[in-house]
This record gives sequence, C-alpha cells and structure tokens, in this order.
Amino acid sequence: MIRWIGNLWFRLRALLDRRRMERDMADEIEFHLEMEERKYRAGGVGAEEAHRLARVRFGGEERFKEQSRRSWGVSWLQDMGGDIRFAARQLRRRPAFTTLAVLTLALGIGGTVALFSVVDGLMLRPMPVRDEAGLRVFWMDYDWRGVEFDFARGRVKAFTSLAAYSMDAVTLRTATGSSLVLSCIGSAELFDVLGVKPLLGRTFRRGEDRPGADPVIVLSYGLWQQRFAGDPTVIGRTVGVDGRSTTVVGVMPRGFYFPTPEARAWVPLDLDPSTQTYQSNGWLVLLGRIRPGVTGAQVQDDITALAHAMGQRWSYPAAWDKTRSPHVTPLREYVLGSVRPALLLLLGAVALVLLMACANVAALILTRTTDRTGEMSMRTALGASRTRLARQILTESVMLGAGAGVLGMGLAAALFHVLVASLPLQNGFADTLSLDWTALTGALGLAVVTGSLISLAPMRSLLAGDLSGSALGERRQSGARGGPGRLRTSLVVAEVLLAVVLTTGAALLVRSVERLRDVDPGLDPKGVLTVDLLLPEASTDSVERDQLLHSVLQRARAIPGVSAAGLINRVPARGGGWQATVAVADRPDLADRQRPNAYYRPVTPGTFAALGAHIVRGRGILPSDRPDSRRVAVVNEAFARRFWGTRNPVGRTITDNGFTEGPIEVVGVVHDIAVDKLVGERPPAVYYPWAQTMHGSSYGILVAKTETDPAALAATVRKLVTQVDPRMTVGRVETMDDVLDAAMAEPLRLRFFLGLFSVLGLVMGTVGVYGVVSFGVQRRRAELGVRLALGARPARLVGETVAAGLVPVLLGVVGGVGLSWMASSFLARFLFGVAPTDLVSFGAAAGVLIVAGVLAALVPALRAGGTDPAVVLRSE
Amino acid sequence: MSKNQPDMIRGTLDMLILKVLSLEPMHGWGIGERIQQVSADALQVNQGSLYPSLHRLTRQGWIRSEWRTTENNRRARYYVLTRAGERQLGLETDHWTRLSVAVGRILALG
Repeated sequence: MIRWIGNLWFRLRALLDRRRMERDMADEIEFHLEMEERKYRAGGVGAEEAHRLARVRFGGEERFKEQSRRSWGVSWLQDMGGDIRFAARQLRRRPAFTTLAVLTLALGIGGTVALFSVVDGLMLRPMPVRDEAGLRVFWMDYDWRGVEFDFARGRVKAFTSLAAYSMDAVTLRTATGSSLVLSCIGSAELFDVLGVKPLLGRTFRRGEDRPGADPVIVLSYGLWQQRFAGDPTVIGRTVGVDGRSTTVVGVMPRGFYFPTPEARAWVPLDLDPSTQTYQSNGWLVLLGRIRPGVTGAQVQDDITALAHAMGQRWSYPAAWDKTRSPHVTPLREYVLGSVRPALLLLLGAVALVLLMACANVAALILTRTTDRTGEMSMRTALGASRTRLARQILTESVMLGAGAGVLGMGLAAALFHVLVASLPLQNGFADTLSLDWTALTGALGLAVVTGSLISLAPMRSLLAGDLSGSALGERRQSGARGGPGRLRTSLVVAEVLLAVVLTTGAALLVRSVERLRDVDPGLDPKGVLTVDLLLPEASTDSVERDQLLHSVLQRARAIPGVSAAGLINRVPARGGGWQATVAVADRPDLADRQRPNAYYRPVTPGTFAALGAHIVRGRGILPSDRPDSRRVAVVNEAFARRFWGTRNPVGRTITDNGFTEGPIEVVGVVHDIAVDKLVGERPPAVYYPWAQTMHGSSYGILVAKTETDPAALAATVRKLVTQVDPRMTVGRVETMDDVLDAAMAEPLRLRFFLGLFSVLGLVMGTVGVYGVVSFGVQRRRAELGVRLALGARPARLVGETVAAGLVPVLLGVVGGVGLSWMASSFLARFLFGVAPTDLVSFGAAAGVLIVAGVLAALVPALRAGGTDPAVVLRSE
Repeated sequence: MSKNQPDMIRGTLDMLILKVLSLEPMHGWGIGERIQQVSADALQVNQGSLYPSLHRLTRQGWIRSEWRTTENNRRARYYVLTRAGERQLGLETDHWTRLSVAVGRILALG
C-alpha cells in the first residue's frame, strides 16, 4: 500500500515537476561522465581521449535518457498530450467538419438525455408508496359503487386489503381564505393499502369513512406549507371542508403523492348505505395490495370469482356488464397510462435522431479518413506505428465525442425544461421530475463511447489496408471502389430512411392539428370569460349562499357589454367532474340499478346563451324552472342519440337517482358542448336547472359573454364579487379561448417536438447526401476532367452526378415510407381526423427528402460541371 | 506480483544494484565500478543502462535517491536501499540461488 502510494507520488512528480526530474537526470549523467573521464586521465589518457572514451563507455546518452524517462511511468500520458494537441490542430483545421460533427452528436445526445430523465422520473423511479409492485387497480376505473366496494372487500383472498378512492375538488376554508383544493377521497384503508406513514399526526382511522364519523382531513406537505406555513401545531385544528367543520389529523411527508401529485389533501369517503350515492353511483376506483407470495394466476382466479359473485348479486345489463372482463392493472400503469404512449413516441423520435447523428458523424469521419489516406501513408513511411495512427484517430473521435458531450449536457438541461412543460402531464407530475446527474454524466460517457465506436469504422479500414509502399499512387485507386465508399452510401441510405420516418410522423401530426382546429367545441368561445366562485360556508347558510350566487349573477348580467351570463359546475372542455347514473324511463332494458353514466351539469338560465350553445330541440333552462316547479332537464345530442336514436327525446322521462328524487322530464336537446375534453367522442351529459339541483352550493362557475375584451371583464367581475360579499373568493379566471387552447396543447406540443426532430433529421439527411455526392465528385475529378477535355457538355455531367447522388436518397425514401407504413398503427392514437397511412403526409415527407437530396447533390455537382480540365489533368 | 518478476537480464542487473546498495549508499558511477570490480570484469555493465534501472527501482520504492557531496566535494546523486528494497533483495537472491542451483544440476548431468 505504502509502496503503491510512493509509486504514484513518483509518477506525479515526474508529471508535475518534470523540469527538475530532467535537470537531476542531466546532472547525474554529467557527474558520471566526469568521474569516468577522471578515471581515464588518472590512467594516463589525454584529456580529449578521456572525454571521448567516457562517452563511448557510457553508450547512447539520449537513448538511456529516453529509457529513463519511460521508466518514470508517465510516457503514455505525455504521448496522449501530444495526441490531443495534434488532434485539436487537425480539428481546428477543418472547422466546418468539426462544427457539424459536434453539433449533430450534441443534439442527439442532449435530446436523448433530456428525454431519458423524463422517462426515468415517470416510468422508472418508484412511486412514493411502500412496495409499489404489489398494488393493483381493479378493472373499470371510476366505476365502482360504494355497495360494490363493500361487497368486494372481504372476498378477494389474494389481496391483503382493498381501498376505494376517487378525486374531487373540495372547498377548503382556513384563516387565510377559501379555495378549491383537488383532493383524493378515500376509504379508511387507503393509507394502509399504500403503506405510508404521515409526517405529522395520523392518517384515516377505521370507521372514519362511515356515517356519523367526525370529519377529518389529511394535508399534503405542499398544502401544509402553503396554507399553514408549515406550522406543526396544525394537527387538531378545525378547518372548513365543503362547509363542514373538519379536523386536520395529519400531514403527509414531502414527496408523497397519491394518486397523482395534483391531489393535495385526503378526505375520507362517506360510505353511507342509506344514500343513493352509495347504492348506485359508480365513481370509485378500487385499489388492492396483493398478499405476498400470491401468484398472478391466483389473483386472476380470485377476481374472476368476485366478478361471478357480483353477477349473481346484481344483474348487469349487457352493455355495462362489469363481470365480463375482470382484471387488475399495476398502479403505475393505471396512473401513467395516458402519458406513456406520448413519451414512447418522443423517445422513439429522439433515438432515431441519435442514430442519425451517429451515422452522420461516422460518414463524416469516413470521408476524412479517405481524404487522409495520403497523410497516413506518409506518416507510416516516416516511422509512425500503425497502432500509433489508430490511436491518433481514436483521440480525434473521442475529442469530438467529448466536445459533443459537453455541449449535449447544456442542450439536455435546456431541452429537459421544454420537454417537461410540453408533455401531457397532469399538473403536479412536472414538479416530481428533475434532470438527474446520473443522466448528465451518462451523457458524457455516451458521447465518448459513441466517439470511440464511430472511430472503429475508419480504424478498421486503416488497419486492414496497406499503407506502406506506393502511398500516393494507391490513394487514387483506393477511393474508386471498396469499403469506405460502400459503407458511406449505406449510412446515407439509413439516414434518409430515418429522416423519412421522422418527417412522415411530423407531417401526420401537422395535418392532425389542422383538423383539430376544425373541431366543433359546441360553443362559441368569442368574448367568453369563466370565473370560479367560492363561497364562505361556515358563516352562511344554504339560502344565503344561493342568494349570494344569484346576486353575483344578476350584477354580472348588468355589466355594460355583457350580453349573457350564467352558472355551471364545470368549465366545458376542462374538467370532467361527476358522472351520475341516469335511468331512462322508456328503456326498461336499462332499468336496473346499473344505469348509464352521464356527466352531471347544472346550469342557470343564460348559461347556454353565454356559451353560444344552440338548442337543437325543445327549450333550454328557463327562469321558470324553480326549485318547486316540475323537474326538467336538457340532454346533449350524444345522450339523445345513445338512448333514443333518432326519436324525439323531448317529453320523455329520466331519473337521476343519486342526486335528487323523482322523475325528470326532458324538455330540450342542446348541441354537443365539449364536456370533459375537446378531442374525441362527446360523452352523454345532462343539464339540470341549477335551482333544482344545486341548492346551497358553496361554489359555482360564472360564464359571461361580452362584446368587449373578456380579459378586461375579469377585473370588473373581481371587484363586483368583493362588493357583493367580501367573504366570497374568486378562484381561477380564464377566457374560453385559453381553455380551448389548453385543451389542444398536448397535440400542439407533440407536433412541435416531432416537427423539431424531423427538421433535425432533414438537416442530417441533407448533409449526408451532400457528403456522399461531393465525395463521389472528388473521386471522379480525373474522369470528369478528361471527359470535359474531350468535349462533354458540363450540364450532362451535372445531371449524371445528381442522378448518382439520388440513388441512396431514393433507396432511403422507399425504405422510410415502408417503415412508416409499418409503424403507422402506433401513431394512430395521436392522430385526429387523419388516417395513419395518410397519403398526403407520406407524399409530403418523401417529396421533401427528395428535394433536399437533389439540392444537396446539386452543389457538388455544379462544382463538378465547372471543373477546369486543365487544372485537373495537370494535378494528376 | 508477476510485474515485479523481471526478465532475466534486466532483473539480474536490478538485483546486482540492490546488492551493491545494501553495502552502502552509492552514486550511479560508483555502482557500475563496484559491479565491475567485484566481478573481476566478468560482468561488463553497459554504463548508460544503469540509469533507467536506477530510476525504475526508485519508482518501485526499493531504493531512494538523495543528493550528497562526495569526498572530492562534488555534488552527486546517491542511491540508498529502502526497507522494501531489502526485502526485494532477499526475494531475488533466493530466487536466483534456486535458479542457479537448478541450472547447475542440469548442467551437471552425465
């Protein structure tokens, strides 16, 4: 150990204090020679002869010095320094080559690392629960009734425990004000199933999800910090949750989230068998923890048995038969299911770009090696060993790689932020992601490895070829045919192929987004403002709250420029919210407990007008629809189509068991307003009079249409709300245009990214084609010169050269179109209104690449046409 | 350890250097003279090749060097055997003895 350190110390000194080592060595030899001389002179030899003899006896002074230096154990480092300096000089001498190679690689590496960080965070990093692998979500999300949950609870032996949960916004009132807080509503077992402990206090207790329990709430770390400034005495404090005074019992640790980071508090379910909600509303997700040691087959057996038992207990109509395909899904897959495909798509695109970057740089380096065959031969002739030359090339490649790596790290950091902002992530997820250092250092490693791998190709041809002998003569021939040329061409074919795949994808998305813009949101967003209103629950009773909402509405309607205003419970195209089961009276086949779900949308008179939604049949909601008048509802077209086909729904009867009692008459049909999201099939929705369904509501969303700027209206509405009652709070305020834009954001961003990648691919493909053609031109200079001298027309030569350059392009295009065609089904889910095999997109992509190929080939070809035969022939 | 098992010729020189230094610290020229004297000129050491060996032995920590003044008042680099060097000398002497005995036996055959 000590010796090892001493050895290292010696080498360090040799490296750092080299000058002294050299001086000492010189002094030492000087002394030696002096002593030797003295010996000879003492023996009677003349001064001059003694001087000579001493040196002869010593041998080659320089040789031994060099041997001594080698024995210092640092010569390889010295050589490397030389290699690096030489490589740097070589790279500087060809700035275009260097810039292109470094940039291409950096883009590939940066993109890959940024994306990897996201994938790592979302798909690989464990969720903040104990033993995530054991958690399963039961089939049919948001579709379990309370009664079914209780039924299933004791019946699945393969699971240690089951929990039910759902997501909903609750109004949270604290000393600092009221706000809507997206929360997870869970059964008492939820935290046991997840296996997590609170930071402070406790989680739910057994029985807290049953009627009569005292209301409690568990806060997320973020909410605790934000609303209670991280005050540890918050446990036991009373806050208002949906108007009920509720005890804060726990705070979860930092970093914990469930089911998504969007949920900021946890509230127990109210499983009260006497309510309609418990009996007939499917709004729960069932989550279970698999008993350790239980196999997948046992799990499947168990849930199949459960489904069978449920089928006997309740009869399900064929269309909504829950017992048909019982299965369970791992929690992560369930939570991240929607992000995954987009992520895979981008990862695929970025991998293609990285591949192209490597192909491109390999092609570039191949060209350089061929160009440098002469130089290499010369250096071999001058005594450089072959390994030394190979090391030289390797050094250059690794330096390229390292440069690209450093640049790529910067790019990765920048791209990462854009990427996180662009992914269709639910809000909170972005906060859990970070660009990790492992990935960054990985980038450097990747760059260096890529660099070395790339250098393998030219190295092989270098080591295989005969560099000695007729060095210069051979260069001319070696270019004419052989390895590097063919390898280069296949690299370009591959590049063009990948570029076509990327461009086709981008073209499809561009077309898809165009179609998206044509989607009918079922409303007219022009001049529409939406305002979340929150009411003070504790200090008001339900009648007062109704009055407050009513007076805000009245005053909003009186604002100059406002043509219509109304209330609704969810902003169209933004939030889903509750679906209530609906029974259709004249459809006896649906008349059992399991009824079709429809979105539940209470509205006031004026809401449809403000949204610009057309009443297709019958009437809308009128002021005459009072709490005490006949129960009515307006259904959307999707609802009418689904249950009555082409028959007129007006005058038919439904019931909304779960919210209100009694039959409800359908009085109208409204055009399909986007409900939960903008894109995709419109789900059934039922619009009820606010007055008949939302008595005592502590929140509402005001929608107002103005002839003026809706953004300017926002300030007026805020002031007005404060005037009505200073205890009222305004939540989110958004124009309808912004809401629709946000709904289109995901495809727009995907398009942006694929567009970016395909432009990258296009640039690389073009560079590749340019390289191959100019290489060919250079090779054939002699031939071209002779032909021009013999009277060939330059135009013809140009044409010929371009045609030759187009061969790899066409091969690549054909392959790329084929590959895209095969991959089209994967892209299908991201497209809207465009077939994944859309001919226009395929044609456009192929066309763009062919044009780029022609242009890339044209530049060197024109140069070939302009060759001066005299110059060429002389130089040969 | 195989790294420290040098080839015959070089290894022999290394061993001789260590042996000479085990008697007293010495400078390069003196080492060469001593080897030649004691071997009665049977071993002609190429003087220059002493130095790469000395440097290597220093790096390996078997000897260390220091600048001293000679009896003629001349500055010279003296080499001193270290503890590790002593051990190494022991090892190499053993090895050499075994080898020469073995070679001797073979040569003594018939």
